[in-house]
Order: sequence, then C-alpha cells, then structure tokens
Amino acid sequence: MSKPQFVYVTYIAAPPERVWEALTKPDISEKYWFGYRVTADGRAGERMTAVNPAGRLAHDDPILESDPPRRLVYGWKPLYKDMPDERASRVTFVLEPFKGQTRLTVTHDEFDDGSKIFGMIAKGWPAVLSSLKSFLETGRGLEPSWGEEERKRAGGA
Amino acid sequence: MSKPSFVYVTYIRTTPEALWAALTDPQTIGKFWFGMTAESDFRPGSPWRLKFLDGRVADTGEILEADPPRRLVIRWRNEFRPELKAEGYSRCTMQIELAAYYPDFGGKAVKLTIEHALDGEGGSKFIEAVSGGWPKVVSNLKSLLETGDIAFTE
Repeated sequence: MSKPQFVYVTYIAAPPERVWEALTKPDISEKYWFGYRVTADGRAGERMTAVNPAGRLAHDDPILESDPPRRLVYGWKPLYKDMPDERASRVTFVLEPFKGQTRLTVTHDEFDDGSKIFGMIAKGWPAVLSSLKSFLETGRGLEPSWGEEERKRAGGA
Repeated sequence: MSKPSFVYVTYIRTTPEALWAALTDPQTIGKFWFGMTAESDFRPGSPWRLKFLDGRVADTGEILEADPPRRLVIRWRNEFRPELKAEGYSRCTMQIELAAYYPDFGGKAVKLTIEHALDGEGGSKFIEAVSGGWPKVVSNLKSLLETGDIAFTE
C-alpha cells in the first residue's frame, strides 16, 4: 500500500520569481496565507518559520533544499499543542516557467499510514494555493497551450 | 480495488451562479478551455460534446444530473485518442458550494470540486490525461472569473 501523498498543481499568471517571493517572505505571505507570516528564504539547513495571526509560532522546520526560484523543500511539523503527535512530513514546491507564467506543483509527503495531519493538509493546500493565485494575478487568464498541443497530436494521427 | 479517479478543489472569488454560468455557457467555455468548447443544453438526459474550435469532436457523453448552481454530472468518454477511448466511459462530477476554507478564519469563497472517475476498473491513461488537464482548465477558469483580488477575506 502506498503512503499518503498530496499533490496539487496550479497555474499562476506571474513569473516564478514573484511566486517564490510570495512563498518565502512573511510580509507577502500574510496577505494571502490567511494572516500567517511564513519565512522560508534561507538556505538549506536554515529554518522555515510560520507565525500565526495571533503571533504564536506555528512552524519551526528545517529547509531541506532551496534553489530559488525553482525548488523549495522543507519539513512540516505543526507546533500547535492540540496537533496529533506525528513525525515531520515534507513539502516540496516546484516552480516551472510556463508560457511566461508559472506552473506550481506542491507535493506533501512522508506521512505515516493513517496520518491525521494528512487529512488537514489535504483540505488546507487547495485553499492556500487558490488564495496565492488570486493574490498574484490581475485577472488575466492563461495563454492557450494544451489546446494547441492536443490539436497537433490529433491532426498528426 | 478502487476505480481510478482524480479530484481537484479550487476556491474562486465569484458567486455560485456566475460559476455555473461559466461552466455551462459554450461561449464562456471557449474562453477558458484552451480552444475547446462544449455543445449541450446542460439538462439531464441531454447529449454533451466537447469540440475543438475547428469542429472536430474531442469527447462525447450525456448530462446525468444538472442542479443549478450546485451540481453537474457528465457521463464522459474521450473520442480522439484511441488509447483513452478504449478505457470507456467516465463520470465527471462538478460540485459548487459557498464554503469557508477553514473553520478558524470564517472567510468564504466559492468552492469548486471536480471529481473525475472511470466507470470501469483497471485503465488509468484517461485519468492520467484529465489529471494534467483539469488544473490548467480550472486555473484558467478561476483567472477569468476573478479580478485580481485575493479569494478570501478574514
């Protein structure tokens, strides 16, 4: 049986540099991450911290990889006292340029079977990432892309 | 063994009515669905087709349920890629609700949940294909409906 793994892909009409900033700078994160101040702009070995709107430390996790503005990996162990006691999981952000915009893939894994925290993050990420996209955009839609690719493929058959 | 399926949730700053309209109006679909549009009157029992702009048919099926502005269920089969068509019919359920994203924060937005599952077991190429496609289509739909504000307020 495979371990629980959460994967979410979203396309954001902003360059990877802006998405990276939004993911790593507290002054930006608090504007879309429901008031959380997330600091993750350090190098591998340094810390990712998140402070909730009440000013309490919600995360103090290791940054495992940092390759701005392409790839960010950090540990994930919520510090709330009412959280289930589970080992740290892992969050991987991959930012890829896509038609002048960004394809953001978030993978959250390294959970134990039966993890309760998994159910929480599976609800939380779509909300946070929807809000991130809304924040970074100005209403412009994505450029046509896979329609062209699919038409080529169909036409060549 | 469970049937292959894909689930995608997004939150959009809009109204359920506007989202329903976008998902069922062929002209609007043409704007966000990357060069494709749907042909259907979106009533239960009616035929449904997804077509390229040049008129060729990509997918066909039938509206199984339509409860505006809350729930749309489409019986759906790919027609233009033989390896996907071979996997047979699928069922796409679109659920629209005004929802708080987290109980703690109280902010509300329109939550769109798309669940796409094959009717049969075993095959997974079709689900693989829609797993790549839905994030693009839904990202674009969200962009189209919003004005650049964040999707949530506390």
